[in-house]
Amino acid sequence: MASSSSSGLTFKLHPLVIVNISDHYTRVKSQLNPPPLTSTSATVNGVENQQQAPRVYGCVIGVQRGRTVEIFNSFELLYDPSTHSLDRPFLKKKQELYKKVFPHFYILGWYSTGSDAQESDMHIHRALMDINESPLYVLLNPAINPTQKDLPVTIYESELHVIDGIPQLIFVRSSYTIETVEAERISVDHVAHLKPSDGGSAATQLAAHLTGIHSAIKMLNSRIRVLHHYLVGMQKGDIPCENSLLRQVSSLLRRLPAIESEKFQDDFLMEYNDTLLITYLAMFTNCSSTMNELVDKFNTAYDRHSRRGGRTAFI
Amino acid sequence: MDIEQNQAELIDNFVKQASAQKGTALGSVILEATSHPSLFAFSEILAVPTIAELEGTENSVYLKVLQLFAHGTWSDYKSNCSSLPQLVPDQVLKLKQLTVLTLAETNKVLPYDELMMELDVTNVRELEDFLINECMYAGIVRGKLDQLRRCFEIQFAAGRDLRPGQLGSMIQTLSNWLGTSDNLLVSIQEEIKWADTMSELDKKHRKEVEDRVEEVKKSLSVKLQTVSRPKLSSEGSRISTLNLVE
Repeated sequence: MASSSSSGLTFKLHPLVIVNISDHYTRVKSQLNPPPLTSTSATVNGVENQQQAPRVYGCVIGVQRGRTVEIFNSFELLYDPSTHSLDRPFLKKKQELYKKVFPHFYILGWYSTGSDAQESDMHIHRALMDINESPLYVLLNPAINPTQKDLPVTIYESELHVIDGIPQLIFVRSSYTIETVEAERISVDHVAHLKPSDGGSAATQLAAHLTGIHSAIKMLNSRIRVLHHYLVGMQKGDIPCENSLLRQVSSLLRRLPAIESEKFQDDFLMEYNDTLLITYLAMFTNCSSTMNELVDKFNTAYDRHSRRGGRTAFI
Repeated sequence: MDIEQNQAELIDNFVKQASAQKGTALGSVILEATSHPSLFAFSEILAVPTIAELEGTENSVYLKVLQLFAHGTWSDYKSNCSSLPQLVPDQVLKLKQLTVLTLAETNKVLPYDELMMELDVTNVRELEDFLINECMYAGIVRGKLDQLRRCFEIQFAAGRDLRPGQLGSMIQTLSNWLGTSDNLLVSIQEEIKWADTMSELDKKHRKEVEDRVEEVKKSLSVKLQTVSRPKLSSEGSRISTLNLVE
């Protein structure tokens, strides 16, 4: 069903859309764990297949300028499995609301979750064709695959192909790029670095921070290794000397050591001492308050005899 | 790195010209190459066989000029003035720019006095103008001018052509860098392990303390049962105050 697209449109996907879709899916999936009384999305084959991942549906909106289609945002839709259609009045209302806030955004298509595009999706696709004559279908694969390097998001367009003499609409895959605005980049970065809610202890935060630095240095290390290998090869004569590269490497090496001057050492040591001092002070305060509590407890335990009429020590 | 890109085309051009001509004509090619405002790399041209042939002929001065521009400085030119042809002002400018690059190879902070001596410039104003207009705007050097301390802090300098021996020292520097980053990685690993072990110990300690508190509480409540009635009320109040304080 999917081959490569020939429409010549370039697609730009914002990460907000991906986060929205995955959030929608996660919410629905976690709400389904108790037997669903009111589910916000339908399972594909009725009640008995609750082990099967629920499919969620929604619309994607954005801007189309010439040959570039940029998908900015998305919202959720209710899917009625009995009539195999999306909730139209709700869609209309949402469309109006979004138009008021973002006058330039149009409904570009719809999204769903699953591992591959299916036949039933074509119905929904056709249904949306009255809003947008060539809607997009964004598919998110919620299966977690640790070996996969790319995003599990595919964008499908519909094209009219002649198969067996009958013109049919089929889905064709399109490539896309991820585009971010600065604000989006910051928030996605923040979300990616969320600490687990119960791991608030200082040690886990420190370990997480150090692990980040470690991986960054590891990348730098591997790159330096490549350069080193290359230069050694050049010296031995295995690789022909490429002067422009050598010049660049020499200019790079001249930047080392990156920071080494007396002033830096002074400032660095001063800041180091300040941090140690503050830690010491905090520890002091902690110790003195614990001591205070201990003394209070001691007094409560041992001092009462003077007031309680000749009572000896308790234990 | 954009300097290299800018130069790549020029270098190809000159290499083609050099290989196409011979003898005296090469002299004009070399002149053109050394006066070109954006060309700072000469080792490719040096490598062209027709130029190497100039060695020993009456045109060997041109070869020497090219070699001077590839590896030498303004002071080299001044000391060998007699054996080298007169340089046109463009070449003089270029040679001075290359001198700054060579100086940048050794130190990151260049005092004005040294620069003035190397470049034959008498006042600071002229020196700064030269550095700003010819070096920084050309993009071969990036740095900060510190007039109060009279020095030029270099953050980035384009590479000059390599002498044959420099490759070895570059490899040495790279392997040092590699060694340092390896060590750093190892120490970060150890720090992470230390942080984890310390938090483990801390948790264990906390648990132990809590267990002991529970034990003591239980033994107290046992003792409460065994004590006789009249004493009970004060004991009870004592235990209750203890519990409150805990």
